[in-house]
Amino acid sequence: MVTVDDYYSDFENKWCPGCGNFGILAAMKDALVKLEIPPEKIVMVSGIGQAAKTPHFLQCNTFHGLHGRALPLATGAKIANHDLNIIVNSGDGDCYGEGGNHFMSAIRRNVDLTLLVHDNKVYGLTKGQASPTADRGMVTKMQPQGVMMESFNPLAVALVLGAGFVARGFSGNMEHLSRVIQEGIRHKGISLIDILQPCVSFNSVNTFGWYKKRVYDLFEEDYVPDDFDKALKLSREWGDKIPIGILYQKEKPCFTDGIATLQEGTLLSREYDPKRLQNLLNPPTT
Amino acid sequence: MGLDITVKIGGEAGQGIQTVGTLMAQVCHKAGLHVMAINDFESRIRGGHSFFQIRISDKPVWAPHHRINLLVALDRRTFDLHCDQLVSDGIVLMAKTAGEEENVLSIPFETLADKAGGKITSNTVAAGASLAILGAPFEIFKSVLSEQFGKKSDVLKMNLSAAELGYRSVKGVSLNSGFLWDFADPKGRLIDGSRSIALGALAADCRIAAFYPMSPATGVMANMNSFSRDFPVVVEQVEDEIAAINMIIGASFAGVRSMTSTSGGGFCLMTEGLGLAGITETPIVVVNAQRPGPATGLPTRTSQGDLQFVIRAAQDEFPRFVFAPASPAEAYETTARAFRLAEKYQVPAIILVDQFFCDSLYTDDGPFPVPETIERFVVGDKDMANAGDYKRYEVTPSGISPRALPCKGEALVVVSGNEHLEDGHISEDKLNRAAMADKRNAKVAGMLGEMTPPRIFHGNSEILLVGWGSTEGVIQEAVAMLQNEGVDAGSIHFNDLWPFPAKATLTLLDQGKKFFVVEQNRTGQLGQLIRQETGLSHAGAILKYDGRPFYPIEVAEGLKKYLE
Repeated sequence: MVTVDDYYSDFENKWCPGCGNFGILAAMKDALVKLEIPPEKIVMVSGIGQAAKTPHFLQCNTFHGLHGRALPLATGAKIANHDLNIIVNSGDGDCYGEGGNHFMSAIRRNVDLTLLVHDNKVYGLTKGQASPTADRGMVTKMQPQGVMMESFNPLAVALVLGAGFVARGFSGNMEHLSRVIQEGIRHKGISLIDILQPCVSFNSVNTFGWYKKRVYDLFEEDYVPDDFDKALKLSREWGDKIPIGILYQKEKPCFTDGIATLQEGTLLSREYDPKRLQNLLNPPTT
Repeated sequence: MGLDITVKIGGEAGQGIQTVGTLMAQVCHKAGLHVMAINDFESRIRGGHSFFQIRISDKPVWAPHHRINLLVALDRRTFDLHCDQLVSDGIVLMAKTAGEEENVLSIPFETLADKAGGKITSNTVAAGASLAILGAPFEIFKSVLSEQFGKKSDVLKMNLSAAELGYRSVKGVSLNSGFLWDFADPKGRLIDGSRSIALGALAADCRIAAFYPMSPATGVMANMNSFSRDFPVVVEQVEDEIAAINMIIGASFAGVRSMTSTSGGGFCLMTEGLGLAGITETPIVVVNAQRPGPATGLPTRTSQGDLQFVIRAAQDEFPRFVFAPASPAEAYETTARAFRLAEKYQVPAIILVDQFFCDSLYTDDGPFPVPETIERFVVGDKDMANAGDYKRYEVTPSGISPRALPCKGEALVVVSGNEHLEDGHISEDKLNRAAMADKRNAKVAGMLGEMTPPRIFHGNSEILLVGWGSTEGVIQEAVAMLQNEGVDAGSIHFNDLWPFPAKATLTLLDQGKKFFVVEQNRTGQLGQLIRQETGLSHAGAILKYDGRPFYPIEVAEGLKKYLE
């Protein structure tokens, strides 16, 4: 039996007290324990940012890579060994800004992994600049006149790119988030979970209270996430009411299913066969 | 006196120049001759001017020749551009002549092709006419065509008829220096540079290749792709070069040997990833097929301008290997060795080639050995006293830490591109930082021991030409030319460039000898490197950086200018 203690790490946590990341970490551990996945069966891949440090604060296999580049790295690991259970921890700047191109491609490939984007609308690690998901007009030290770009809508983008699992969580509702993460891990194909979280140090607008007042739970609404048009409409609902839960879910063939040679087993498990190369280099004369 | 013929086939992009040239090369190879062919083309799909220049000899040839014996001009421009390279008794084949000298023959390629069954066969007509002039037995051409089109009998029939019409169109014409075709066995294999690298990757059991298309590096990936049906190989075209390098780092982390190939601009995008491989100590192999830059530069041309770049690329300091093979057989073995050494030392390895090498066709009788087994440098739980205590970056005297794979046991593999502790977790501790920098760089001592010294050709000569990578054949031929003229010249040539084999270089050069670097760049980058690593300065530099490969005579004349 897997317990939450298995995931306990005594490594010094480097987040600000009150950070939304703590809720996400707790929900992640809860989901892994409920799914009975032990630490040695999980690979966490992350980019750069406060979110990307997550794997250091629990027990698991980890590749903490470059800013924005977690998804291609995770894709490579998945091609090498498609039995790996991969969770990518990323942030709004990491995934939608620096890694935007990879975000689009990973969805289009439908790589079987779970993508948790800790979305606080600011760059925390570099001290509070606006991120791609910052609402238009949001004022920061570096955007004194307010953000002049449209806010990036990851859920709508993921939907139109054909993602088979599009969800939103809230760091302030651990139980709900754990349920979404469990569904995301179970889902075959890429599962995008954009997680709303306050940044206690740099975002004074989208606070815990601000979200608490606005979010409503799609599970409680008995919403059935099988209608693309409804999901797209929901993905654009923002302001007074913000839906959290699974907006859309549909099984589709995932990336590694389509690669012929992987149907004979993982690349990692295959034996080297010198005869094949010998035949290629020196074809037997007929 | 041996036979040494150069045929140049020129025309617009899209006219099938390569097809004509390749068919001729195949015939010559089958007949037991040696060939060396360069591929010269513009960065466009149709129109413009391209040529394929094939040198045919009964002795090994490793460089292009500057004079042409037979010019096959598929358009007028080819004739205008290249007729001055013809030897005095050279022959020109053209579709339409305009009252030129008698050595210019009018061969209506397209009309004959129509007769054979379709314009599409005009390349076969041209190849037929050219081979007939060289005196090649029709039977060999026939068997080459059968191998090519055997599966489609209608197409084969059409091409055979085109070949025959081509042969007949030049009946009675032959080169004064015609060949004696005495059916020897093929001399080694007919192979281009790109394919030799891809085969080398297979010989290292590389299973993943990720790339973004970029000339002249795409050929390596096209070859890898052709293996993916019969081998456990996955080739993925990705969204950009950044994705490519990160993807292979992820694949290697998970335990599968992986590579990418690109050219200078793509390599620029990969540099942060190269650093990630450096600090995370993840083995990868990156092929950089050089072209002139900076930025877009000349996409389809050749260069050796990236040497200083790749040995230093990415910020800060970390060990890496850089190799620059000179021939297909060497590229095959070097690529396989690069994978092995990258894995042994847990560092990135870079293979530095160029358009000249990748796109050129050689006959190479090198061994192309197939390893019986592949040694992997990884550990598992069973190799550890306590898997729960596994530390990915354990400090060791060699700098090499035991490398476990994720999800292969109880040991947790924690890897970070941030500076990290022995267990892989991030740390800003100053003592740890210094210890980790020391650990990574400690590998250099072992790596240096793996480096092959430069190859010597007439090393006891008074004057040495010093080169690296694809130019070895050119330089050695230049040396032979110089010696014929009484110049006491030899050469030394580098395949293994980094970590720099300084000791061996000092032994070879520090004997009061004058040495001259021969490079396809503007500033003599190897010369700078030798000076930096050994304190020895070159007496001069023979440099060509117009995007076109060296001819041996240019190197020989370049040296003679210094001697005047």
